[in-house]
Amino acid sequence: MYPRGLWPLFALPGIVWLLLLFLVPFYAVIAVAFGTVDPIFQNPVPVWNPLDWNYDYVLETVIGFLPGNDYWRVFVRTTKYVAASLALCLLIGYPVAYYISRHAGRTKSLLVALLVLPFWVSYLMRMLAWVNLLAPGGYVNDILTWTHLVTTPPDWLNGNPYSVVLGLVYGYIPYLIMPLLASLDRIDKSLLEAARDLGASPFRAFVHVTLPLSKTGILGASVIITLPMFGDYYTPNIVSGSPQTSMLGNQIDIFFHGGPQPAIGAALTMVLSTFLGVLMVYYMYTVAKASREART
Amino acid sequence: MRDDDVHPNRNLNRRRSSRISRRRALKILGSGVAAAVAAPWVLRHALADQLMGPGGIPLARPNAPVTLPRFEDPIKSGLEPEKGGTFTVFNYSDYIDKKVVDEFGKKYKVKTQITTFDSMDIAITRLAKHVKADVTNISLDRLGQAVAGKLLKPVNPDYVPNLKKNVWPQLQSPFYDVESRYTVPYTIYSTGIGWRSDKVKEDIYHLENPWSIFWASQAYKGYVGVLDDSREALGMALLYQKNYDVNTEDPAVIDKALADLKALIPICNPKVNITEYQTLPEGTSYLHEVWSGDMLSAVISYMPKDGDPSTLQYWTPPRGKALVQNDCWAISATTKKPVLAHLFLNYIIDEQVATDNFLNFTGYQPPQISITADGLVAKGVIPKNLESVVLRPEDLGSDSLQLMALTAKGQALWQSAYSKFISGV
Amino acid sequence: MTAASASLALPANRSALRRARDWAANPWARPRFLVLVTWVYIVWSIAPVIIAIQFSFNAGRSLTAWQGFSLTRWYFDDPENSVWNDPALQGALIQSLKLAALDMLIATPLGVLLALGLARWRGYAAEAGNLLMLFPLVTPEIVMGVSLSLVFAYLFDFIEPSTTAQVLGHVTFSLSYVVVIVRGRLFSIGRQYEEAAADLGATPWETLWLVLLPLLLPAVLSSMMIVFAISIDDFVISQWLSCGADCDTIPIRIYSATRAAPLPSINALAAIMVYFTIAALVLSYFLFRFLTRGERAAGKAGRSVVQDMGGFDM
Repeated sequence: MYPRGLWPLFALPGIVWLLLLFLVPFYAVIAVAFGTVDPIFQNPVPVWNPLDWNYDYVLETVIGFLPGNDYWRVFVRTTKYVAASLALCLLIGYPVAYYISRHAGRTKSLLVALLVLPFWVSYLMRMLAWVNLLAPGGYVNDILTWTHLVTTPPDWLNGNPYSVVLGLVYGYIPYLIMPLLASLDRIDKSLLEAARDLGASPFRAFVHVTLPLSKTGILGASVIITLPMFGDYYTPNIVSGSPQTSMLGNQIDIFFHGGPQPAIGAALTMVLSTFLGVLMVYYMYTVAKASREART
Repeated sequence: MRDDDVHPNRNLNRRRSSRISRRRALKILGSGVAAAVAAPWVLRHALADQLMGPGGIPLARPNAPVTLPRFEDPIKSGLEPEKGGTFTVFNYSDYIDKKVVDEFGKKYKVKTQITTFDSMDIAITRLAKHVKADVTNISLDRLGQAVAGKLLKPVNPDYVPNLKKNVWPQLQSPFYDVESRYTVPYTIYSTGIGWRSDKVKEDIYHLENPWSIFWASQAYKGYVGVLDDSREALGMALLYQKNYDVNTEDPAVIDKALADLKALIPICNPKVNITEYQTLPEGTSYLHEVWSGDMLSAVISYMPKDGDPSTLQYWTPPRGKALVQNDCWAISATTKKPVLAHLFLNYIIDEQVATDNFLNFTGYQPPQISITADGLVAKGVIPKNLESVVLRPEDLGSDSLQLMALTAKGQALWQSAYSKFISGV
Repeated sequence: MTAASASLALPANRSALRRARDWAANPWARPRFLVLVTWVYIVWSIAPVIIAIQFSFNAGRSLTAWQGFSLTRWYFDDPENSVWNDPALQGALIQSLKLAALDMLIATPLGVLLALGLARWRGYAAEAGNLLMLFPLVTPEIVMGVSLSLVFAYLFDFIEPSTTAQVLGHVTFSLSYVVVIVRGRLFSIGRQYEEAAADLGATPWETLWLVLLPLLLPAVLSSMMIVFAISIDDFVISQWLSCGADCDTIPIRIYSATRAAPLPSINALAAIMVYFTIAALVLSYFLFRFLTRGERAAGKAGRSVVQDMGGFDM
């Protein structure tokens, strides 16, 4: 119906764009990480030919990631924050997505619109809003002291890891709920009805039918928020600003924005990307397996 | 003491950069050409332990002055200023009053523009890539690097008579640029302790070791801050231990400074930023390591309407124990308007221009003979309690402490130590 | 016996506890717990933003203490600091809008083409292309920021950090969103209309222009809105490719301000962004419903709003 080469031709400009501005920059990071430093200006000098690579900085960085060393500790801290945030996001987000996709009825459009709203409000503005609420004279402390839940208002903004986790949850949860909602929406309701007809209680129907069917959705949504969260540096900076809560992204930021060893910043970026690449590959493998099983 | 909030973020970009500005890389003296060119200077400054910077130019210290080499001759005297085109001032953002630059353009009938950079690193990188710039702001620790990389044009003093007329004698032929071959000084500032006397009860002025207040500030937990700059933050820890070699490259000393800084975290959970010129007058910070110019800004520009300037206090150590610093102007090597560039250098150290720029905009003191602490207090610009914010010519000398360029190894040590503090490990 | 318990054939005389348990366990009742969680979440999600917008109308300078209502102080009136009068804030607003508009105009056509190409193409190259397209969605922005700033410094060094660089960066991460949305719509349309057109004698180009593209229009528009929103919201890429104060966008200003001592004018600036995006959202929603009115009338009532809006589909 359509000429043979049409679709590849359509895809070409986009692919070329992504190659030049997404893939090639990754190689630039590698070239700088394995590069040298200009003696006079101290700028990183990328080394493009793999045969000439200088392994010093990368080695130094990798050693730093060994258990007990500096980067390892930051990495562990980052992982803890991300894991806690993911857990909370799922805990809050799954029921919400479940309710809207299954039960919302007439108010469904309204709820979806309200759900989409924070997605459209700038991330930084939402963080700004929280910083104001958590400030010493802000509403949160006012409410806490007014209801006598605490005697002295806690200090939220001074290197408090709970604030960072809460900030991450607040910031990323819309990005979790949307894909989760989409995937839950797609679950065939007739399957659920069949389970109920066969005598399963609502709870058992949920556990044995809905949950397994939503596994890929959960995984996909988790990947969508976990990977970017690993590189987040502005949330801890805004909500905390203290060295105690810095994440891996902060390390990259410091080294890169003008340390004497920008190659280390590039090496850190490389390590982070590799780690996330591994997670991503695992996800793709799971999805491929699931779709293969679905097709058979 | 106006309460209007001029340019809320103006100092932010400029000073944010300082935390990342002091880096140096050094490989073994590079090419033979550099060595050959540098040989005379290496011989002349053959103090056995003088450290070498890039291009074979020794690293300047207050007690080891350096004459920067000239790679070309300065322009001839008596030339007419160029006409037409655009004159570009390359500077940190919000570090010079736009009106001042516009007036210069009107005076010499040329269009002017300000191109900004966020940090010295970016500035050097862009100068190396021949960004369009006629004059550039430059900090002392990058001067040697810029000269070695042939980014600056030497100055012909005949065009800059204001240097001898208006500027402090100590800065006529400063240690970092003997004979003022490349620079004129722009601002001078010191590092000290800033606090609010209505919140901090201690009499910091009369403490035996005033820096120790930070290590005893449990009562102000969460309202204490240090400057977001590797050299300044660790430098404070050095001064606390009465260690006055602030350009040290000794790993043991740097590690001790790091340990002291890290000890602050459980004591007072310090914030690490450069926004104390806002947070102190607003009351969200009580005790902070500050730059003197920021205290002035705090009073002149950031004081809220109902604020009381007499609560702001500033202490800085006496000479030889205090960190002082100055920024300069230099001429870019790629300028097509060298005469105008010289005239700009002369213009910016004109007494009236410098004073207006200082009081109306930057808050950072120019080293002008006419600007004194007493004069400013008499004019009502600063309250008496902030007299120490204004530096005097006597604060500079061969025994003054200035954070200067380090060798690559040294710089890496400082940076690594600071990043450990910053990441809480 | 109530009607409900009659229809369920429950025993008539149940104990109070049993009655309570039955009330909670009634499978046909609305899931009260979930309703509660959902509405609490929505309020928790939106309230801080509403409060931040409220404080943009604060008469005083505080961001935590309400000092009276002033409609325009931080938007127009204040001679130094309002959004109207502060050149820094104005510059940020204009730069954000500029970047978002350029991003929209470049990424949408590119993305639509890419979506069509990837969806209809078969083979290993297509799979690879698909993977390439998906990666920006999950790459942390700092990695993209670092890599782009490096590539512009050392490889494509004819591009300085500037608005151009920022646009290029924005388009790069926006492409994937456009592709995912348009592709979702493509799948839900199916090939039936194109095949029908071909059967009726349309040439490939006519099919494309007169049948496929109009059907895709809702997705194209909603992806334009989404690209606009994520571009305005973008912080990391804009910061890393920024040329200095002139290239600062609204998120960069907000970031600097939250780390210093912010004024309500920052809230006003952010609120203006919210007004813009709400307007865009409302506009696109009505446009979408208008454009797909035929489909609803044709009895596709079962399809949910979520799927219609190009539900996120990895």
